[in-house]
Amino acid sequence: MFDFVKTVLIALPKGFYTTFKHLFKKPVTLQYPKEKMPMAPRYRGLHYLEKYEDGSERCVCCGLCASACPADAIYMEPAENEKGERYSEVYEINLLRCIYCGFCEEACPEEAIFLGHEYEFSNDSRDAFIYTKGQMLANRPTKEKPFKKIIRKVRRIF
Amino acid sequence: MSDDSNNINLTIDGQQVSVPRGTTVLEAARSIRIDIPTFCWHPKLKPAGSCRICYVEIEKARTLMVSCATDVAPDMVVHTASEKVLQGRKAVLEFMLMNHPLDCPTCDKGGECDLQNLTFKHGVDDSRFDFKKYRHIRDKNSTFDDLRIGSEIIRNQNRCILCYKCVRANKDIFGEQDLGAYQRGNITEINTPPGEQVDSLYSGNLVEICPVGALTNTDWRYKIRVWNTQTVDSVCSYCADGCNLTLWKDKQKIYRATSRRNDNIDEGWICDVGRYGYQVPMAEDRLTTPLIKKGDSQVPATWEEALGLISEKFKKIKDERGGVCIGGLISPNLDSLSLHTFSKFFRMVLNSNNVDFRAGYKMLPEKADDLYSKLTSLPFKISDIEKSDLILVLDSDLTKEHPIVNLRVRKAVTQKNASLFALNPITTQTGGIATDEMVYNIGTLHALLNGLCISLIDQNLTQYENARDLKNKLSPNTIEEASRISGIDVARINSLAKAITEVKNISLIAGELLTSSINREQLSGAIINLCLLAGIFDKGQVGVLSQAANSKGAEKLAVMPHLSERSILKIKQIWDKYPDNDGLALDQMIRSSIKEELDSMFIIGSNLMLEYPDGAVVKEGLEKLDFLVVADICETETTQIADVVLPLSTWVEYDSSFVNLESVEQKFKAAIKPVGFSLPAYQIINKIAQGFKTPLFETIDELIPEIKTLLQPDDSQNSFENCAIEYIEEKQNPEFEIPLLITNELHHFGYFTEKSNSLSNFCSEAFLEISPGLAEKLDVKNGSIIRVESEVGKINLPVKISEYIDNDVVRAYRNFSASPVNILQMRKRNIDRVKLTVVEGT
Ligand code: SF4
Ligand code: SF4
Ligand code: SF4
Ligand code: SF4
Ligand code: FES
Repeated sequence: MFDFVKTVLIALPKGFYTTFKHLFKKPVTLQYPKEKMPMAPRYRGLHYLEKYEDGSERCVCCGLCASACPADAIYMEPAENEKGERYSEVYEINLLRCIYCGFCEEACPEEAIFLGHEYEFSNDSRDAFIYTKGQMLANRPTKEKPFKKIIRKVRRIF
Repeated sequence: MSDDSNNINLTIDGQQVSVPRGTTVLEAARSIRIDIPTFCWHPKLKPAGSCRICYVEIEKARTLMVSCATDVAPDMVVHTASEKVLQGRKAVLEFMLMNHPLDCPTCDKGGECDLQNLTFKHGVDDSRFDFKKYRHIRDKNSTFDDLRIGSEIIRNQNRCILCYKCVRANKDIFGEQDLGAYQRGNITEINTPPGEQVDSLYSGNLVEICPVGALTNTDWRYKIRVWNTQTVDSVCSYCADGCNLTLWKDKQKIYRATSRRNDNIDEGWICDVGRYGYQVPMAEDRLTTPLIKKGDSQVPATWEEALGLISEKFKKIKDERGGVCIGGLISPNLDSLSLHTFSKFFRMVLNSNNVDFRAGYKMLPEKADDLYSKLTSLPFKISDIEKSDLILVLDSDLTKEHPIVNLRVRKAVTQKNASLFALNPITTQTGGIATDEMVYNIGTLHALLNGLCISLIDQNLTQYENARDLKNKLSPNTIEEASRISGIDVARINSLAKAITEVKNISLIAGELLTSSINREQLSGAIINLCLLAGIFDKGQVGVLSQAANSKGAEKLAVMPHLSERSILKIKQIWDKYPDNDGLALDQMIRSSIKEELDSMFIIGSNLMLEYPDGAVVKEGLEKLDFLVVADICETETTQIADVVLPLSTWVEYDSSFVNLESVEQKFKAAIKPVGFSLPAYQIINKIAQGFKTPLFETIDELIPEIKTLLQPDDSQNSFENCAIEYIEEKQNPEFEIPLLITNELHHFGYFTEKSNSLSNFCSEAFLEISPGLAEKLDVKNGSIIRVESEVGKINLPVKISEYIDNDVVRAYRNFSASPVNILQMRKRNIDRVKLTVVEGT
């Protein structure tokens, strides 16, 4: 008897009430891909390479990201440009190997590589996941990534 | 230990240590494995005390002391890691970093930089320096401050910590004046005098000893990070000094070569040919597959086809006309395994003694057990040079032939007060520090040596009992006559004779001009006479230096047609047989080929068309052969005319060894896999032997004991007797009167050095060196084109006026394929003579 009261007369209406309540609330699901969720500032998505204001590349091909990379996903070949500066002639990330740990952006002394908020890069060919320097430079968002500030702050402490 | 008055006891970090007087605190600490960081200290340089990172605390001393410049004293108590020392080090680092740029990401030293490592270790992580850093600017428009101070050296002054190691080594060790420190204080810079470049043969060492990234070289610059490379122990494959190298490689590419210090040989210095020579195996145009001549062209083939053809042809020749109708030539720049298998193949399989390695020599006296080989079998140690009080250099431009022997000689003279006498047909760089450099008339060395012997006898300076008897055997036999012929004053000859008898230890060094001379027996005899009279055999060493990386090995491994009794015995011992025919030396092979007695030649690693000192004859000889097999690493003039071309691996592609001029066998390891389908020479030879159903080995381990037996030094003592020496003037054609000397270019000794970009940056084309006097007479300036004509050939060469030539000799350089100077030479002539005409329009 007591059980009947507890489950049918109390709990059931309570459940209906909760459901009913949500009819009048804003839905939590998004209409992906029409709508997209804003990512947390530290979200680690597809990599991009930064440039200076004058358009020159920041990456000097120092190799620190590649040494920091636990997945051995980064390959690069340095070269000398006409000004006598060091730059990366080849810079590739194998996105299938990458585990999106973000060590590369932490290691980079030139603030050149970042993991952006992009996550839509599925493809049907393995070769397409070898992400080249040109792609990474083009992928650069116009807005500065807020994470940069965090990195700088952390650097100052250590 | 205290009974030894020369030893001093002291305490370092609580440990007792006893070291000889005069040791520095730093060395004492390192001897018991206590490490003290250093920047400006270098084992082979005098301490400078300029960086002060090596601070230690010495009890009772008022301040911290620099350990690299403080000698040990009795009962010293040293602390190397006390609080005060650590603080001192940190302060020194802070000062160094004051103006140091944050270049680590772009700096090639990153990862192996002493400054980086110490900064990391001592935790200097913050800067208290709030002012703007001083920046050395190359030019205002450039954001980068790199300045090229040599063909291969780039300087970034901002990174320099002013340890002065480069300047000191350049001056004290290499004797060059082209690098110095200019200005003072913050703006001090390491630079060359205006208009000059650091282009000595040793320039790469400066980069290697720089503790930071201030000096970098172009070959390593921006190519790879040091932590991505692996190191391989190797040995240089160019000259006979046999410097030890470390090769830095990743996958199939070598990125640089550095010295692997061996105090018996190189003391941590290598020449630029050794340093940049690794670029030769990396050349783009290596041969990668066998080629077989079909009609007029050579078409790629498989190994099976090529080897099948070779075995078949060789077999046919052997069966029909005998193995003696095949001649063999192998380059002395190849390893011991290959040399040994080559000799084994000819002697065991073809039953012929026609093997030789001396491509660049003129017609040699063809006799086993000659005076020359007696002289070369004498023991000689590079490290013993510095023990001598007097060094006598005969017929050798040491810098160009033996850069590391040259450094020892320089060390003996400048640091150990030895006196140097150089007897050469032209002025040499080494001669610059000589007590007396005698520039004799070319081709008259034995006359001059006769004069020296007579001077010893006449002045009664000799203990040799048969002296009088010897004097009668000499011609010229008066000192005046010798002086007239050689052009050296009597007084100078006499004073040299005196100097020789006054000292306790003598090193006599003879070089290439003697080794490859037609008069080699006479010259060797003259040297023996001198050694007997002056007692050099008892009080010093005689080194008749071999030329290429493995020339000594080739001699010992019997890659010669005429062998001494002892070598024949050894060969019979290891192989149980020895062909009883008389072998042909290279020039005999070529002559036989012209007479159509020789049918075929098998050449490995040697560009005979360019090397043989008689271009016309060698061309005819090789073209008359029925069947020519050439194995080489790149296409050459010789491979072009071959019937079968085989791709050869270079020394960085397999494990083997070289025997240096001291007869020391040094092993080296493979750094990369064979390029393309190329194979090491010993494998090629073995595969051909397999075609005869008589393989030479199953695994190379079988060859090791054989090589060991052959390389064993002879214990039997050589006894020397005096010899009759006669100087005969060579007949000349009055039309061609200017003597021509053909030697190695400074950065191009050893074959294929043209393929190395760095070495070609130093010098990329052949030229003719003439004296300023002659230049004036001909009215030419640097770069003018001159036609050099001899009795047999002519060639156009650009002129370079040289301070090293002050008589009427002209000098040209071999090893440039675009200018084959060997077409001017004649193999029967001791001295080649030419006439010069200026080509109009220059
Ligand atoms: S995110 Fe991590 S795994 Fe991916 S490239 Fe960077 S370091 Fe490598
Ligand atoms: S991205 Fe940064 S860490 Fe990686 S090579 Fe370039 S500069 Fe160096
Ligand atoms: S360039 Fe290098 S070796 Fe020379 S003084 Fe500067 S830091 Fe020392
Ligand atoms: S060429 Fe001679 S001196 Fe130069 S590195 Fe090689 S062995 Fe040493
Ligand atoms: S190493 Fe001692 S002062 Fe530089």
